[in-house]
Amino acid sequence: MIELKSVTKRFGDETAVDAISLTVERGELCALVGTSGCGKSTTLRMINRLIEHDGGEIHIEGRPIREFDGRLLRRRIGYAIQSTGLFPHWTVARNIGLVPGLLKWPAARVAERVEELMVMLGLPVEAFADKYPAQLSGGQAQRVGVARALAADPDILLMDEPFGALDPITRQGLQAELRDLQARLQKTIVFVTHDMDEALALADRLVVMNAGRIVQQGGPLELLRAPADDFVASLLGGDDRGLKAAAITRVGERMLPLATRPVPSARVPREATLHQALAVMFREHVERLAVMDGDERPVGEISLRRIVGAGREGGGEP
Amino acid sequence: MSRREAPLNRVVLALSLAALACWLWLPLGSIAPNRIVLGTAYSLPEALGWPLTVASCLPLLGLAVMAWRPRRPAYYAALALTLLLLMALPLWLALMAQRHLDPALPQARVGIGAAGWLMLFWLSLLLVELRTRLALAGWQLGLGLVPVLGAWWLTAPGLASLALWQELAGRGEAFAEALLQHLLLVGGAVGTSLVLGAAIALAMRQNPGVERLGFALLNFLQTIPSLALFGLLLAPLAWLSARVDWLAALGVSGIGWAPAFLALLGYSLLPMVRNTFVALSEVDPGVLEAARGMGMGRGQVLRRVRLPLALPVVLEGVRITTVQAIGLTAVAALIGAGGLGTFIFQGLGQAAMDLVLLGALPILAMALVADALLGALARRLNRHTGRTTGATP
Repeated sequence: MIELKSVTKRFGDETAVDAISLTVERGELCALVGTSGCGKSTTLRMINRLIEHDGGEIHIEGRPIREFDGRLLRRRIGYAIQSTGLFPHWTVARNIGLVPGLLKWPAARVAERVEELMVMLGLPVEAFADKYPAQLSGGQAQRVGVARALAADPDILLMDEPFGALDPITRQGLQAELRDLQARLQKTIVFVTHDMDEALALADRLVVMNAGRIVQQGGPLELLRAPADDFVASLLGGDDRGLKAAAITRVGERMLPLATRPVPSARVPREATLHQALAVMFREHVERLAVMDGDERPVGEISLRRIVGAGREGGGEP
Repeated sequence: MSRREAPLNRVVLALSLAALACWLWLPLGSIAPNRIVLGTAYSLPEALGWPLTVASCLPLLGLAVMAWRPRRPAYYAALALTLLLLMALPLWLALMAQRHLDPALPQARVGIGAAGWLMLFWLSLLLVELRTRLALAGWQLGLGLVPVLGAWWLTAPGLASLALWQELAGRGEAFAEALLQHLLLVGGAVGTSLVLGAAIALAMRQNPGVERLGFALLNFLQTIPSLALFGLLLAPLAWLSARVDWLAALGVSGIGWAPAFLALLGYSLLPMVRNTFVALSEVDPGVLEAARGMGMGRGQVLRRVRLPLALPVVLEGVRITTVQAIGLTAVAALIGAGGLGTFIFQGLGQAAMDLVLLGALPILAMALVADALLGALARRLNRHTGRTTGATP
């Protein structure tokens, strides 16, 4: 658990972070979003003491971080950044093994852990272990960056726009992988991004920052339904908000038991989003879809009214 | 690719024709009855007679013909011809010596003429061109040069009367000593400036004030002509050695190795400090951020990240400094520091050009070898990082 209590950071006369308070629960993925210069990266880097906070207190697992030696603290916290920061003169395997090495793990254990992580992040060991960062694609380099951040199995992971420099397809692929990884590993993750879609897709909780202050925080749907002010609303995409909410709500959460006979011919998987269901409706020119489970069996149905209603209230027609 | 389909390689053609013209019209060498008298110059036909002249021109004509077939096999043939010409170069001089040297004059000597030197020059340029066309690695070219050196070695007995050789024969020990002094001065100055330069560069990075002052001072030092600097050091060093016994015991005095060493050090510091400073500054900030973010301490970041990544650029500084110091050390002979420059200044004083060459040629060779070796080392260190800093090939 990470707690920030009225934390302030000033650079000269400028207040970069202004008395923000924030709690990130264990196992939660918290996204800090906002325009550039809003203080989100500064906030992130205060948590691992790359930047020292001027006022307020930051606690990790109930203890103020000032009690820890900065270097030892950082070895316990995973850190991944946009430019990956891989050491260009080290192989992939050596890069991943950096923190375990700093923690003086025995070499055999480091090697074992590196292999485990490479498999976990879809980097075949024989093909990649001895490569150098210059030989990797952007997506591969970022995977190595994430593997390096996870190497010493830290409870906390700080990620500063890790997918910001990647092309959209690679970025979405890595976002999906991070979601799966997080479902398995349950790390406490603080994730900085200016890409609202990324934040909505990944985060359990969004923290919207502007000019060093927290404007609003809450779950993705919460924010989409009730943005605190025009700034949050515009950041969330203005009129696109409804579609964005549809894009993060699963069909399975909104479907009704199968009632229509015969079963509608147009169908959609239960795991699809309402956004995808809408797209199928547009394509097939229908207002009703059969919802299928993983074995292609119809398990329910969903209507256009239900989707539109769900987008507004979450409940909808009986 | 378009070059390969081009009907003609103009570079090879121009170089081979230029070589041919020099070869035919300029003097191949000269023969002098003794060291002082200016020799008689012999052109190629005069020296060797027409049949041999024509024979020696055939490979050059062959090269010119190859220029019209700019494809790989022809380039290999051209490379073979160029190496053959290089191998034969001392042979023509030896033949000339054999035919024209008067055995009654034991002091008589053979000088290398303009045609000989220029032929060497044009052939070297041809090698560079062919190496580029064939994309040969440095070691492959080096392998090709082995038979050339072997051929020269075999021809050497026939050239005992070569003036350069005679100058060396009379000074075998002095030459070895001068060579050693030269290497020691260069090695000492470069080594010391590397250590000192790294320390200064680190201090400069800590403190912008030191940076401004340091660069101003080093830039100023660089503008003092080397002879003037030697002169300026004379008085303070003489004074010091008179006061401090252990300095005098070390051999420090107003002239000799000490002022030469200090001046060389001064000149070496600027390129060394500048390169080390740039090298340390231009390490990717993302890498440093990550290194700190992973929990590395300052010392660890310096030793394991900053220095290894800076090393190729630092080596580039060592390369520049070494080549520069090899040349500057020649001037240091003027203040009695020894080294190969001694022969240059002696030769100038005695109007004995071959003695000048005896000093100048090894300096040239040392500079070329140092440049090639350090450049190759920098490229090797750079092979993973994908950067292209370091020596030009």
